Amino acid sequence: MGYAAHFMFNNGIEPEMELAIQLIIYGILMGLIFALIALGLSLIFGVMNIVNFAHGEFLMVGMYIAYVFSSSLHLDPIISLPFAATAGYLLGIMSYHFLIHQILRGPMVAQLFGTFGLMLFLRYLAMYIFTPDVRSISKGILVGKILSLGWVTIDLSKVVSAGLCLLSFAIVYWIIYRTKLGRALRATSIDGEAAQYMGIDTKKMNALAWGIGGATVALAGALLAHFYYVTPTVGMLFTLIAFAIVALGGFGSIAGAFLAAIIIGLIMVLSGHYVSELKFTFIYIVYFLLVVLRPRGLFGW
Amino acid sequence: MRQLLVDLFSFQDRPPFERIGFLIFILIVLAFPWMVTSAYGKAVMIKFLLFALFGLGWNLIGGYGGQVDLGQAKNVGFGAYATALMMLWWKVPFWFTIIPGMIFAAAESFAVAYPMFRLRGHYFAIATLCVALVWKELFVFWDWTGGARGIEIPIRPTPDFAYMQFGSPIYYHYFIFILFITQLLFMNWFRKSKLGYQLQAVRDNEDAAASLGINVSRTKVIAYTITGGLGAVGGSFMTVYYLYIDPDFVMPLDLSILIAMTVMVGGAGSIWGPIIGAALLIPLDMYLGAWLGAQKRLGIDFMIYAMIMMVIAAREPKGIWGIIERLSRKG
Repeated sequence: MGYAAHFMFNNGIEPEMELAIQLIIYGILMGLIFALIALGLSLIFGVMNIVNFAHGEFLMVGMYIAYVFSSSLHLDPIISLPFAATAGYLLGIMSYHFLIHQILRGPMVAQLFGTFGLMLFLRYLAMYIFTPDVRSISKGILVGKILSLGWVTIDLSKVVSAGLCLLSFAIVYWIIYRTKLGRALRATSIDGEAAQYMGIDTKKMNALAWGIGGATVALAGALLAHFYYVTPTVGMLFTLIAFAIVALGGFGSIAGAFLAAIIIGLIMVLSGHYVSELKFTFIYIVYFLLVVLRPRGLFGW
Repeated sequence: MRQLLVDLFSFQDRPPFERIGFLIFILIVLAFPWMVTSAYGKAVMIKFLLFALFGLGWNLIGGYGGQVDLGQAKNVGFGAYATALMMLWWKVPFWFTIIPGMIFAAAESFAVAYPMFRLRGHYFAIATLCVALVWKELFVFWDWTGGARGIEIPIRPTPDFAYMQFGSPIYYHYFIFILFITQLLFMNWFRKSKLGYQLQAVRDNEDAAASLGINVSRTKVIAYTITGGLGAVGGSFMTVYYLYIDPDFVMPLDLSILIAMTVMVGGAGSIWGPIIGAALLIPLDMYLGAWLGAQKRLGIDFMIYAMIMMVIAAREPKGIWGIIERLSRKG
């Protein structure tokens, strides 16, 4: 929007105020996307008490799938969404069967290194296939379009992505809290052994948690790729953002993660604008202070 | 005093085959620069000793303490920057920059240790990761550290003992070897010390250790502080050896991971583990990485690392040393 339009639609609101409101809207939209990213981490943690360091790399896989659809197959990246989700689901299930299942019985150190190894593997596999170059999607029905409501202007891709993330989050929430399958999943997360005695196949539930976690985060990745650059090392940042969200929301709490994601989205966007270069430092410091001062999270008890 | 010397130098509690193996290893390292002529081979050896040194330090908290610290690179960075900045600003000879670097790293570790050790397991690991990443971003952001451009150490026209600049890698080889041996002897003393036993008790069962009257958080904080100080030594060496440092080189996450990994692969919590891990991973990195890099196949070396890591985690959490110990008990 040009300057002329800016003055036309500006109904006496201070420019700083305008900017702040725009940033807040942007922060909430990012928060909704972060919510879907953090959902899987929270779910996996809740069900089997293991932290997935490769979470951001699952996101990266989703991002590269969208990128491949756009650049190599010349399709609209929006078509990649179901494929990204499916790939994420399979990746999650495979990770569980080939790795996580093996390390669950081992000491904590081994668990940590197992998922760390998975993270490195996916990251450098991407580096091998796509080289370390920074890539972004340039074509697509959502890419580069701007939505303007009065003086508020936002990327259409961010609005649609946030909307779809919210929808997906709601669907997973519904599955977990309103279906029989979800009840079995929750029972496993409360007490795996007891759930097993009740006839729940806990191994299947664990695999399912990894599947859902992988699908949601890869879907979020495919959406994120519409307006965020892709590199093989992009995952670490989002892993840490997801950690911060899960810590803030209380480990294993899904509703808490949702609220926490919006708070983190706002912190990141606002600090990114007003303090610029150190915005990621803020995320790390917020995480550090949170886990130290309030290990159960703001919404845990 | 006499007891201290015995504790430092005695490996009597280890079986004979280990002591013989260690002796052979020392002789090989000592003779190495005279047997191998290739400059690359010498560089690989120096890097191996450097990472064995890092691993020995990390083993204190990660192996004997059982606390996975994924931020050791920050201490390496503190050591490297302390040396570089003191040499540049005040022309302090290299030898007087090692201790201040260690003190700074230990002080910083001490300051963050108390809040961090309210956390256990995974949460502790993530917190160490965050602290290290914050420091790295700050070192990139600040001007007085040279930012992302890093710091170059001016090259002196003549070999200079005070600033550790020599024409030949032999000097660096023996210098890092002395640092390595010093740290190995320190660790040999540490594992048999009161604090060492307390730390191992805390690792094996925190609640049981506490019920025996061990102050769990104090033990962990001291161990973490010492680990911080030990990490800085290698950093100081990196400054004078590579003559160039920047945050991406001396304090990246990859370095933290590699340090932790050498120990995990070799065998955490044993005196030889870090050495074995470094002996396997560093030549692999230097030769395979260089070969694959020449073929423009970026990333395969790290994929191999990652697979080793996953297999070790799933099958052999005690690392290669665990396998050797099991075999020797059978044989």
